[in-house]
This record gives sequence, structure tokens and C-alpha cells, in this order.
Amino acid sequence: MQSSNQPWSSLWKTLFGDPLRAFGIVSAILLVLLAIAPAKNHFSEWRHYQKGYLRMVRSRGEAVTLQRHFQPGIQQIWHPDIGVTDRCTSCHVGLKEASLTDVKFQPYRKHPVIPHTTEQYGCVMCHRGQGAATTVEEAHSSTLAWEQPILPARYIESGCGQCHRANLEGTPQLNQGRALLARYGCVQCHSIKLPDAGVMQATQDAPSLSHIADKTTREWIFAWLKDPQSYAASATMPNFKLKDDDIRDISAFLIANSNPVAGDTLPPISQKAADSTAGASLYGESFCASCHAVQNAAGNLVGGNVGPELTRIGNKTKPEWLRAWIHNPRVYDPGTQMPHYRFSDQQVATMEGFLLAKSDSDFLANVHLDPATPEQIAHGKSLVMEYGCSSCHEITGIKKPENFAPELTRIGSKSISQLIFLPGMSHTLPDYIAGKIRQPRAFSPGLKMPQYSFTLTQIDALTTALLAQNDRAQSMPPSLSVPAPQTSHYRPAGKAGQIMSDLACFSCHAINGRGGDMAPDLTWEGSSVQRKWLEDFFRNPGTLRPALIRRMPKFNLSNEEISTLSDYIMTVYQTPEFDRESLPESGYSATQVEEGKQLFYSKYGCQSCHIVDAKSDKGYIGPTLTGVGSRLTAAWVYHWLKNPQALRPGTVEPNRNMSDDEAKSLTAFLMAQKGSGTKEAKK
Amino acid sequence: MAKTVDQYFDDLRDTRVWRSIFRSGTGSSTLKRSLAIQQNVFLHLFATKVRRRMLSFSATWYLGTLTLGTFLMLVVTGILLMLYYHPSVPQAYADTKDLQFVVSSGLFLRNLHRWSAHAMVFLVFAHMFKVFYRGAYRPPREFNWVIGIVLLLVTLLLSYTGYLLPWDQLAYWAITVGSNIASAVPVFGDKIHFMLLGGNLVNANALLRFYVLHCMILPLAAIFFIAIHFWRIRKDGGLYAHQSEPSTLTKTTLAKEAQ
Repeated sequence: MQSSNQPWSSLWKTLFGDPLRAFGIVSAILLVLLAIAPAKNHFSEWRHYQKGYLRMVRSRGEAVTLQRHFQPGIQQIWHPDIGVTDRCTSCHVGLKEASLTDVKFQPYRKHPVIPHTTEQYGCVMCHRGQGAATTVEEAHSSTLAWEQPILPARYIESGCGQCHRANLEGTPQLNQGRALLARYGCVQCHSIKLPDAGVMQATQDAPSLSHIADKTTREWIFAWLKDPQSYAASATMPNFKLKDDDIRDISAFLIANSNPVAGDTLPPISQKAADSTAGASLYGESFCASCHAVQNAAGNLVGGNVGPELTRIGNKTKPEWLRAWIHNPRVYDPGTQMPHYRFSDQQVATMEGFLLAKSDSDFLANVHLDPATPEQIAHGKSLVMEYGCSSCHEITGIKKPENFAPELTRIGSKSISQLIFLPGMSHTLPDYIAGKIRQPRAFSPGLKMPQYSFTLTQIDALTTALLAQNDRAQSMPPSLSVPAPQTSHYRPAGKAGQIMSDLACFSCHAINGRGGDMAPDLTWEGSSVQRKWLEDFFRNPGTLRPALIRRMPKFNLSNEEISTLSDYIMTVYQTPEFDRESLPESGYSATQVEEGKQLFYSKYGCQSCHIVDAKSDKGYIGPTLTGVGSRLTAAWVYHWLKNPQALRPGTVEPNRNMSDDEAKSLTAFLMAQKGSGTKEAKK
Repeated sequence: MAKTVDQYFDDLRDTRVWRSIFRSGTGSSTLKRSLAIQQNVFLHLFATKVRRRMLSFSATWYLGTLTLGTFLMLVVTGILLMLYYHPSVPQAYADTKDLQFVVSSGLFLRNLHRWSAHAMVFLVFAHMFKVFYRGAYRPPREFNWVIGIVLLLVTLLLSYTGYLLPWDQLAYWAITVGSNIASAVPVFGDKIHFMLLGGNLVNANALLRFYVLHCMILPLAAIFFIAIHFWRIRKDGGLYAHQSEPSTLTKTTLAKEAQ
């Protein structure tokens, strides 16, 4: 023991034996320790990256420019009003250098082109992470003192959604996510408040179940509830994963609860279809596929998604109801988006036969239900209330529940400590949201949220849209938030208004800010077209755009209806900017027409998008202009040429900044193209 | 004729400037040495004479001195931190972040303050245990023991009020819980709670109050009581010598008494 202690005790004596020497040594140790702090400061990460940048820059051709742009020291983007203190540019030095796009790695590569500059709103606004930090770990990761790590790049569009409430051209994923939230009824159960005091509205109302016994059978309801997607792959209704007995009781309740609507069934029509192909051609001529999809032999959906998928419609609807629906859908559902086609009895019979044939003989083969007992019906009702069916569907006697599911207004900044993750899941907010959408019941079998059949792309889109619903979005200064355009509740009045609602014009056309985007905006149609053309078009609609498959269906309107509609359109839908009679429709001099022709073909090259001479021109982007002189008013053509965007914001037609004379000559040339353009285009 | 270091010090003490500041002058006589202590505003708190044995590590483990050392360190780092800190709700947390990320050696400064605070609480307790188990609280030192208890409370309050200042979640909830404990006091509980926070919730007022307490009121109180504490050590007969190593004087008295 003595010997082992010997060297230590002698070392101790040498160092601390003498008080003065001990003081000196302790002081030296203290000095060294004190030097660690400034040393750490000096060898900080951001300095390391700035040195690395200068080293990299030296070997490049534009070294002098880059060195001149370089500013040493901690850099910061500071906007206290929106809570931005971003020091990311201390290491990410080359973000603004246009020539650094070829650098393979961050932090030196140039930032991709975005509509804003990096100084404008900083980095964290879109990328998240900790902007104030100056070390790699603290800035990018979730640490003890910072919860929000860098957002994975695939959700980056959520940043745009914090200010921009409307759809943007550059954010397809965000747009899709928001559309899905509205279309799949997410917002029917989860309320999402918008910063401008509104709430996100559902775009598709699920059908009312108050009269369902008129429309379909209990067996179909059973099969549908068991698995909606087995009936229609594109069904928006999710799978509630119900037990067979529960489905039996729910279907019993829905049938028992249904009350009939007068006139929503029709007796069989004796006139039968002329031949077997008549149904298919009527379906095609009526452009049903613009709104309804059908699965083709290859399993792909063909058609629009405004109305329900019709692949197995024959399994669903009762023939007497379908007949009445084709005849006039507004009897059963006054608010439907489907137009009231004025079909003849024979056409109704043809269409009915065609649609009923779309069925799958196996679909209901295994569904056998005994008559319902009162207990089953009562149990069905309690299930319907428990699962919140009336959040989406109107059901007689059951109110739409309020606050049925958690509000999602600020889900995008939910604290991770408040979330319960599944084992094996990475602990980040985007993963949690995506996991919840993908398999909600996995988080707890008792949860009511149903199973949707979203694709991974759709889940990413939904997650992006939900991440945009965060604290920052809610507290954005009004000057920065870009609200969605006001939803218009415009309704045309009078007799014409009645016809327009009967024809469901707004399902495809927009007028005064309300309506669909499938067909042209008609707000200024009265200034744009000549009355005679309009009437002809109603009688026999053709297409103006040769490349489009969709076009307006023929509604078999009576002459009286056509004249009422035309009167209304020509009188009401005019632009205040100019008088449609300010320029004559004909009588231009031959020289002016010739000058216009030169401008059309040579100076402006309009034939690359438009067709005037059907034999030689090959433009398929814009509408066909053969016979445009009989279709449009001269004043419209002239003002359109001067500034297309002023008449229809967002149109593809470029503004060529023509002089008044040039525009006049071109108008003269175009107005000389008389004839029935629509008929020629139809060939 | 080489001068020793001590001779240089003696020359320095003989200069006019030195004499104008320290009035005691040179010389190592007992009188001069006791005057040097008595006539200095800082040193006069201490005893003029200390037993050599009491300066050894084993006598006190230097716990009181180390506590004073951490306190001085806290004062210095605290003043430096005050240069970077705004006691306002939108600023406080950002300032803590700035200290961590952009202030030169800011993190070092903050950590030094934080660890010194932890060390001071530990040392205060250790000091009290040592005093307690050695029996040094007994007469005539019972009043100084009470002063020590007050200093313990001041230390704990300094620690507690400083905890809120980073204004993070930990701080917020610690103070919420802590102040709710205060409201458990019978009759006056809610009033104390309201007075402490300047409201019913931990908010801007509470932050300001805790800042003032932490940086003004409590440090002044600590300095005041520390001064009394030190002065009483001298008045109570210097550092307490342990009974297991009694002085020769007490040994003979004890022997006399035994007879």
C-alpha cells in the first residue's frame, strides 16, 4: 500500500506542497479551462462552413464575384412581426448565387426558384426547424429544447398554404389535399376554422338517406356498408369496418326510417329501345361521362367525378326509381347537380335499359336478410348516431352532430408531447398525421374514424394540407394572408333562373363567381356572342375546341325556353366595360380585311393555336375560328385582342399589346369569317 | 543587493498613494496587523486573529468560503447576462436562444451561472450540515445559525426566481406549480399567490416580478445577511473549534471543573 501511494503522494507534494506554487498551478488550470469557451466559440460550426465555402469558391471561374458577395459572420433574416429570426444563411451561404445551381450538396447550393425571395419571409416559414440556431443539430433536428425538426421536402407546399387560402398553380399537392379534405367529408366531422373567420366547407354533399327505400334495397345497403369500394372503386364513402350484425341493423333502420317522395317512381314504359346500341349512343350523346365514371374492361375508370360512379348501377337502383330520376332528377332531389334532360319517353326507356344492364350478378348474391325486428331497428338507430352518419348524410329524425371529431384548425403545430405514437413509428408530426389517415383504427380499436382507401400520394397531399393548418397560419398578419375568393351564392332570378337551375348550368359553367370550371365562364356571355348563334347553339350544341372530348349536352329545349334563356343572357350577362354594338359586325373594307389576314398569319402567327382555314391551319390550342364572324360580336373580338386577361382573367391567350389599328384590322378579318363554325367543327 | 519579494511589497506599502488608501502602514507587529484588518471596510467584518488550525481544510472543508465564491461568481455572470436579457414575454425566450447561438461565449456564461447556482444550493446545504453535526450552532452562535437559515431561504428563492427567466415550458410549469403551492397557505394563500405573480396566471407581470426579485431584491438581501453573518463570526469568537480537538485552555478548564 505504501509503495503504490508513493509516486502519487510525491507528485502531490511537488505540485501543491508549497502554497505559492499550488496557487500558481490552480491558476494555470483555471486559465486553460477559461480558454475553452472562446476556443469553442472560434471553432464553431458556422465558421467551419463559411471557410469551406470560401475554399470551394476559390476553384470556380466566378470566384471573384462570389467572394465579393460573401459576407463573413453570423447572417440573419429578421422579421419580428411574423416571428422570423432565421440564421440559416450563416451556413447556407450560396442560397442567392445563381451560378451555384450545379453544387451537389447543401449548404452551398443555390435555392430553387420560388415566387418569393429568401429575405422576404425567411426559411423556417416553409421548412420549419429552429431558425435561431447556429449549429447543424439544433437547427435541423428535434432536440430537447426544440420540437419541430426540418419538414421533409415532400410536404414543403404546406408552407404556401399558411398564407394562400386559394389554389395556386405551383402547389398541386396542397390543392389536391385541400380538395380531398373537402370532397371526402373530412371537414364534416372535423371542423377546420380558417383565419378569416370561416370554416372549410365540404364540396360534396353525401346523398340524403331520408327517402332511401324509394331508391334502393336493404340488400344493397348491406353490401355497400360492408365495403363501399367493392361496389364502386371511386366511392368517397369510407369503410367503417362494421360487424355483419351491426350492418344488418343499420340497413333495417335506414329502410324503416325512410319516407317516400311523391312522384319519384314511374311505371314501366312500353316503348323499348330501338336497338342494342341505342343506349350506348344516347349515353355518349348526352355526355353523361363528363360527370359519371364507369370502369372499363381493363379496370380503369373512364369519366368525370362530379356524379357517382355507374359501373354497377343496375345492382343499386330500383328500376321504377331510376326511370323517374332519368326523367327528372329534381323530383327526388331538388338540389342535385344533375341537369334535367328533357328526354322523350323512349329515350328514358333506352337509358334505363342501358344503365340497368350495368350490374354484377355476383354483387348481391350472398346477401340474405331476414325481415327486421323492432329491436334491430332501434339498435340500428343507435349505431347510426354513434358513428355520426348524419355528419354527412341527411337522415330524418337525427340531427347533424356538432364537434363530432377533434377540431383540426391547428393540427399542423400540434405539440409532439401531446401525441400518442404507435410502436415503431418515427416521432414526427407529419408521420403521425399520415399514419392516422392511413390506418386510423390502428391507433386504438375503439376509434370511430373509418378506414379510407387513399393512395400514398393522396395521403401525402392530405398531410400537406393539414400541416398548413397551424398556429402561424392562424396568426398571420392580415396584410400577408391571401384569402380564397369569396364563395358566391349568386342565383339568377325569374323564369330564366328557374330554367338555369333545372338544367344545372352551374354544375359546369361559372357565372358571377359561382359554378363549376368544366365549361367556360358565362359572366359576360351577352357581350361576347351574337344572339342568333346562341339560339342555334342551344338547339344543337357543338364544340368550339376541336381537341376537347367533352361538350355541352343537348337538353332538347323548347323554342320558348331557348328564347327566354337567350333574352336573359343577352340582357344580363354584359360587361360594363364596352357596348357590344360599338363596332359593326360586317361592312369592313377589303383592304382592312387583307391587312388583318397578314397580321393573323405573319406578324402574330395566330394559326399556331387557332384554325381559320380548316384545310391548312393546324392550331388546336385555342377555339376554332371558322365562322367566328357569325359567333362573336365585333366589339368583343376587338377588346379581347387588346387585352384578353381583362375580359377573362387567367386565360391562356397572350396579350400581344397590339395597336388600336392592328386590333381593328384583325377584328375586320375575323368578322369576315362568316358561316356556321360549330357545324364545320363537328365534322 | 537583491531585494526579496517581501521587500518590494514593503516598498509598495510605503508609497504615498498606498498610505492614502490603507492607513495602517507597514510593519508586522501585532498592532499593525490588527489595524490592517480593523481599518478596512471589507476586512473589518473578519476576526483580527485566526487560529492557524482553523485554516486547515479539515476544520471547515472551506464550505462557507466556497459558498461565498459561488455567490460572487453568480453576481458577476448575472450582471453580464443582464446585458443580453429583456424580461418581456416576446423577448425573454428569444434572448435565451440568442445567448446560446449568437452571443460570444454566451452559452458558457449562461452555463456558468446555472451550474454556479446549483453548486451554491448544494454548498449551502453542505455547510449547514457541517455546522449542525459539529454542533457549531450552539451558544453563543445561535443567532448566526438563524441568520444562516435566512440565507438558506434567500438562496432557495434566488434559485426559484431565476428558474422562470428563460421563459420556456419547464420554467412556466415549474413556476405555475410552485406558485400554486403558495396558494395552499390557509387564509392568505390566494393573496400570496396573487402578489407573487402580479395576477392569477404566470404571465408578463410574473416574469417582471421574478426578474426584479432575482436581480435586485434578493441579491441585496443576500449581501445584507452575508455581511451580518460574517461580522457575527468575529463577534461570536471566530470559527468554531471542534470538541474532539479542544484547545489547551479548554482542556485545563475542563480538568479544573472535573476536579
